[in-house]
Amino acid sequence: MTIRVLDPRLDPDGEPLGLAPALDSLEGATIGLLDNTKIGTARFYDHLEALLRQRGVRSFIRLRKPDASRPAPPEMLDELTGADAIVSGIGD
Amino acid sequence: MNTDRPARLASAAYDVDDGFAANELYQDNGWTDGLPIVPPTESLVRAFLDAARRGPEDVIGVEPVRRRRITAEKIAIAAVMAGCRPEYMPVVLAVVRAMCATEFGLHGTTASTGGSAQFIVVNGPVRRAIGMNATHNVLANASRANATIGRTPRLLILNVLGGTPGRLDRSTLGHPGKFTFCVAEDEEDHPWTPLASERGVPAERSAVTVLAAGSPHQLMNEWTREPRELLETYAATIRANLLTYSIWPGNYALVIGRQHRDVLVAAGWSKRDIREFVHERARVTRGEWCSVGKGAVVGRKGDNVHPALRSPDDLLVVAAGGPAGGFGAVIPPWYAAKSVAVTVPVETGDAS
Repeated sequence: MTIRVLDPRLDPDGEPLGLAPALDSLEGATIGLLDNTKIGTARFYDHLEALLRQRGVRSFIRLRKPDASRPAPPEMLDELTGADAIVSGIGD
Repeated sequence: MNTDRPARLASAAYDVDDGFAANELYQDNGWTDGLPIVPPTESLVRAFLDAARRGPEDVIGVEPVRRRRITAEKIAIAAVMAGCRPEYMPVVLAVVRAMCATEFGLHGTTASTGGSAQFIVVNGPVRRAIGMNATHNVLANASRANATIGRTPRLLILNVLGGTPGRLDRSTLGHPGKFTFCVAEDEEDHPWTPLASERGVPAERSAVTVLAAGSPHQLMNEWTREPRELLETYAATIRANLLTYSIWPGNYALVIGRQHRDVLVAAGWSKRDIREFVHERARVTRGEWCSVGKGAVVGRKGDNVHPALRSPDDLLVVAAGGPAGGFGAVIPPWYAAKSVAVTVPVETGDAS
């Protein structure tokens, strides 16, 4: 005799999320750098910004979340839509 | 939400040979915490839903960041797996509602490297109705209800929120409370106001208070009848946490055993008196970091005073523990006030 048991997992609602496609070129691009407020993030982004400028990136939108453990507020996400690509990172 | 024809369950089903095989399936798939589970069959899950007077599709809470809608069906499955009895369901549902409050920060507390557990305190008549323990060995094994109610949120976090260690759960260490961490408050042997009543729930109502917490730190003082001396031991334990863990203020819980309660009650101290004393005493200067190897981050702020509590109300005073022994415990917050304790009544409509 078999027993029938139920799956404990919850399927997430909506479309699965993935990484955006890579840019064809960084030349003249605007890159968003979202800082999650952890202590190492700003230094890491300073370095990343320098590297990206060498590769032709023209401008950056650097924003700092108000709180590491909560999502970025909608107005911050709106501002980041001005970027061609966004890096969201943790520098713990 | 009962109807004449039972609502369809949404969960996929699997046929297995027996209970042992069911456990193997859940272990192999990472659907449990490593301990064995009770196989969640449809009939058991329906019995648990009926005990809570809930339909399977009822959304009990929504995790605010990733918007996972936690249904009564998935909660019932987790509660069966954890070893609960159906009559525990109203308490379990209240725990889920508390965890889904925005201020609880469930996502951050789950994903953080500073691993935390849900420390659950149950108040009111439901404690005795379902056989919860508030005395001997209260922070550990002594009651099925404590153990299994406390285990249920972990199974939900694993399976419903995706809080698998190494994936969404990024805890560096975690602590044993992540298996289960649930107590009833002893409301019977002292004149103190129950925790939930202090936090606004009428005394005749059952309620849960949930705190995202670090591991308990047991303390001992059997050598004084002076309340201030006794509470200084608690304050010192908190000060140690401020220096060695996090200096930022938030909700701390004190679990005060019977012997210490007797000293405090005999001297006429209320929970409010305790909270106010500890608020004053549990504070450090940033410069004290030099004494614990953290001098590198003192900077020019060595004289800054850091209290453990933003106000006396940040302290959760819980009466629990066996009748003998001068012991108590300090339970620190996960991280400052980024997550705060949430108190939720056990809904009358949920009562079985």
